[in-house]
Amino acid sequence: MSAGGRSRGFLLIAGAVVASLVLVGAYLAAGGSSYEPEKVQDPCKPRPWSNPQGLSEIANQFTVSALDGAACQLGVSREALARALATPEARERFKERYGITDAKLAKAVRAGLVRAVDDAEEAGALSPILAVPLREAVQRVPLEQAIEFINDAESFLGNVNSFLGPAQSLLEEFLP
Amino acid sequence: MLADSSIVVLALPDIYRELNTSVSGVTWVLVSFNLVMALAAVPAALIARRVGPGRAAAVGLAIFAGAGLACGLADSLSTLIAARCVQAIGGAAAVTAALELLPATVGSEQRATTVWAAAGATGAALGPALGGILTELVSWQSIFLLQVPVALAAAVPILSVAKHEAATGIVSTELRRTGRPHLWANLALAMVSAAIAAALFLLVLLLIEGWRLSPIEAALVVSAMPLAAVIGGKLADFVPDARARAAAGAILVSGGLAGLAFLPKATIVLTLPPQILVGLGLALVLSALTETALSGRAPQAIHGGWTISARHAGVVIGLLALTPIFTAEIDQQRHDAINAGTAVILDSPINPLLKLDLAERVSERLEEERGKVPTIGPAFEPLPDDPGERSEVQQLQSELQDQLDRGATHAFSTSFILAALLGLIALFPIALSKEVEL
Repeated sequence: MSAGGRSRGFLLIAGAVVASLVLVGAYLAAGGSSYEPEKVQDPCKPRPWSNPQGLSEIANQFTVSALDGAACQLGVSREALARALATPEARERFKERYGITDAKLAKAVRAGLVRAVDDAEEAGALSPILAVPLREAVQRVPLEQAIEFINDAESFLGNVNSFLGPAQSLLEEFLP
Repeated sequence: MLADSSIVVLALPDIYRELNTSVSGVTWVLVSFNLVMALAAVPAALIARRVGPGRAAAVGLAIFAGAGLACGLADSLSTLIAARCVQAIGGAAAVTAALELLPATVGSEQRATTVWAAAGATGAALGPALGGILTELVSWQSIFLLQVPVALAAAVPILSVAKHEAATGIVSTELRRTGRPHLWANLALAMVSAAIAAALFLLVLLLIEGWRLSPIEAALVVSAMPLAAVIGGKLADFVPDARARAAAGAILVSGGLAGLAFLPKATIVLTLPPQILVGLGLALVLSALTETALSGRAPQAIHGGWTISARHAGVVIGLLALTPIFTAEIDQQRHDAINAGTAVILDSPINPLLKLDLAERVSERLEEERGKVPTIGPAFEPLPDDPGERSEVQQLQSELQDQLDRGATHAFSTSFILAALLGLIALFPIALSKEVEL
């Protein structure tokens, strides 16, 4: 083979190497290997409340805390439980998939509500005077009602405030 | 016919849906054809030597056309796969016999080798775009039905040769045999073909199933490859060293595949530079290796049969090795996407009632479109009336879609990296193949 032919061959290989390295390098530099799917957090780890303002924000965090508590008790992710509680059909699929009975689910959902009350109290969103009876109450509600409290936490907390609010004022007046 | 293994690629998503099969199942529409091609190419070449290339090519084209008709009329996956197997037998006979017939048309054996090798590279590059346009404008069946008149038209000029062979009983009597099959060139051809098949198949799936492009849009996108292959073919004319061309081609194919593995965003424009590298590379490497495998060897049909066999075996290996990997990745990605989507919604500041409802609707939509990344817009409809809440929901929707698109792109990364490695491993047999200047 002629020297010219050989050098053209060498140039072609060198060009191919450079073009490939430039492309891969540019893509990596632009974040081509950085994709990580959103991580699902451990529901058993505490999730601090971020200073909620107003009933709507309190209800939002109350729901998340309740889901965390219930999911932790069941050993599933908060995300899987949230999807399960959205509709009765989704709940049935969830129970079948994870082999969970109604009684176990009810126990977990109530535990979740207790954790939400605890978290709300700790964050200063719920006074201890309201938290004590509320904690007792949520441990006795039927499953359907408990799920309703999680799904529509805003109405639940609004009602609590309407019913127990006057009692709280009364207690605060008489307690030292 | 040399485009046939790639022409079906863009029709696979439609076949997959219409024949109600799985991704692994539909892969067999490609695998069956290539497997039978790989097995039948050398025996077909031997038969062509015995009965005459004219007759072998004419019969091969007739079988190819008949089986193409059966493919176009198939109403089940099993019928389609069976017809594809028959089609491959006809294809193997016609393609190997063509190599014996070409010297008379183009002037010399050497020129025939170059034309035949270039046809293989062009066919592989052009196939997907052609298949995509036909699938979108007509139907997936039209890809096969169109092959019928094309194959019959190709048979017409060969008929006179076949008649002459039948009348005179004269067939190619040259029995000289020079050398055994070129092991290293054929091995490299198999590896590079595996990488290229994976590039085409995976890219098409990414565009259609991952990024929701229509077949014609995907066809336009993957046209970058044949266009680059044309330039690669011209580039090859300036470099006489076949081994250098093969090595450069394998490096470019691997570089392009690695680029596809590390796409920074789910954007069509970013697929173009890697496609250009793959297109340039495949034109250089396929023709160089085919020429090397045929150079100084006789009979050409049989050694051509070995190259066809190696290329199609490579395609089969590539598809069978990579399909389970990316289908598992797609499943994992879907699972991650459902959880990621729910997590994003749960952590958003929107109303709890709305967020739980949304979480359920989004995950339902993701479940519905199994193996495909859906547009999640419908899951967010109707949008809330409150302007503040509406804008929060819209932001959430775009955040989620971005997550899903990036996840879908990422699902293909491992397979693209493995395909790139196959291309790089091909450098070893290329280095061991002897230097050939044509």
